Amino acid sequence: MKRGSLVGPLLLIGIGGLFLARNVFPDLQLLDYLARYWPLLLILWGGLRLLEILIWTATAKPLPAQGISGGEWVLVIFLCMFGASLHAVRGFSTWFPRSGIELGGLEVFGQSFEYPVSGEAATSKTPKIVLESFRGNARIVGADVQMVKVAGRNTVRSLDQQAAERANREAGFEVSGDANQVVIRANQNRISGNLRMTADLDITVPKGASITARGRGGDFDIHGITGSVEIDSDNASVRLEDIGGEVRAELRGSDIVRALNVQGGIELKGRGSDIDLQNIQGPVTVNGNFSGVTQFHNLAKPLRFITAYSEFAVEKLPGDVRIAIGDLSASNLIGPVRFTSTRSWDLRLNNFSNSLEINQNGGDVDLRPGSLPLAKIDVRKRTGRIELALPAAAKFDLTATTNQGEISNDFGGILTFDPGRHGRGRSLHGGNGGATVNLTTDRGDIVVRTGLASDSEPAARAAEGKTPAASKPPVQVEQ
Amino acid sequence: MTSDALVTAIRGPILLITLGALMALDQTDRVSFGRTWPVLLILFGVFKLMERAGARNA
Repeated sequence: MKRGSLVGPLLLIGIGGLFLARNVFPDLQLLDYLARYWPLLLILWGGLRLLEILIWTATAKPLPAQGISGGEWVLVIFLCMFGASLHAVRGFSTWFPRSGIELGGLEVFGQSFEYPVSGEAATSKTPKIVLESFRGNARIVGADVQMVKVAGRNTVRSLDQQAAERANREAGFEVSGDANQVVIRANQNRISGNLRMTADLDITVPKGASITARGRGGDFDIHGITGSVEIDSDNASVRLEDIGGEVRAELRGSDIVRALNVQGGIELKGRGSDIDLQNIQGPVTVNGNFSGVTQFHNLAKPLRFITAYSEFAVEKLPGDVRIAIGDLSASNLIGPVRFTSTRSWDLRLNNFSNSLEINQNGGDVDLRPGSLPLAKIDVRKRTGRIELALPAAAKFDLTATTNQGEISNDFGGILTFDPGRHGRGRSLHGGNGGATVNLTTDRGDIVVRTGLASDSEPAARAAEGKTPAASKPPVQVEQ
Repeated sequence: MTSDALVTAIRGPILLITLGALMALDQTDRVSFGRTWPVLLILFGVFKLMERAGARNA
């Protein structure tokens, strides 16, 4: 009789267990975990099989001809493809669309050859500078000049020197145009064959210049210009400082976008990793899949952060917002604040004014509105906990409802429980005639307590220790 | 002969573990799989050599 391996049944049990876990805990981000940890499945599989074979050897049982059969290898390949594409789609890393498997071996066998490039052109005070088909690093600095000056080098990665020289000639770096528009062409798309060419450029431009860059990728480091910046690139790191005009960037896999002191608005589109925007005077829109850490600080105009599944909007942001996958924390916001998502997010909003509207699937919500008077708060979610800390002097009219979970009233006597109203759920309501506060979750606990908008919770509690509401014992309802 | 059979039997699982490890390294963004894949070839070659050595001894 042919004896099968234990690993097949174990895999089935494992997959069944995963799906069961997702049904029991809907908050569990199963796909995210899979995307992150799928290689461990391969290791586990191999490890179990190895252990099994060693045990068979030790007990002198007949060994299979192949440790892993052809069919199993096919399954492994499918798992790799599935895992890698999932990984790429969830955006944890960017190797999949960028490089894949480098069969050419240029990175391994090739050599680097460098050729200096330079060029200059006289311009008006406010020219438009265009970087065409660019790949490499560009540092663009505004200065009190009326010319565009480019200096730097081309790096060609090639297997031999002749090919590199030919490529450098073929590309033919050029700076051309008239007083109002200067075009810098690196022409790296012209070269053919098994070569790779990048440019490192230092570009000095008039202060009033506007920049447009298009290309396959690279780093753009731009500072000290009063015009606008427009970037359209596959893999770009963008660093901007002291920009006077509008910034628009369409990226398909950036490592980082950082902007500091921009007078105009910022519009970011596409895919990438980290974003860091500070001191922006115009409206900010981020639309796409930026999977790293996103940070905003001191935005004078409305902010909109849009992903495929979520949208976050704030009217003005004197404080900070930090967004990582499934986690958003913000402090010092001016509303109306709006957050909508069909995914699970943990939200921590500290010190916000004007109205707040949250409509999301799961995750924990922790709200500490700071300033009084309180404005309308409306939180609706399917699962997850809601915690609301209100200043003791707040005027409000609260309704908190959960269909499955506990509500605890740490605020005090003006709130009363209303058990029977929603069947087996719970509801807490009451108030002193102020803004409407509505907290609804299908499944999860709700906590309403006193508290100030402060990062340190003990300090906030100590500060309001004198108030009568806080001195009352908490009332808890058992489910 | 038993050691020969053992080598063929554990070849698959060890390759699988290596593949998993390389993929895991790739995911942490330390070394891309595009750089490390030849390790699999080398490992495969080593197993082939061991197989030959085993056959000669037998």
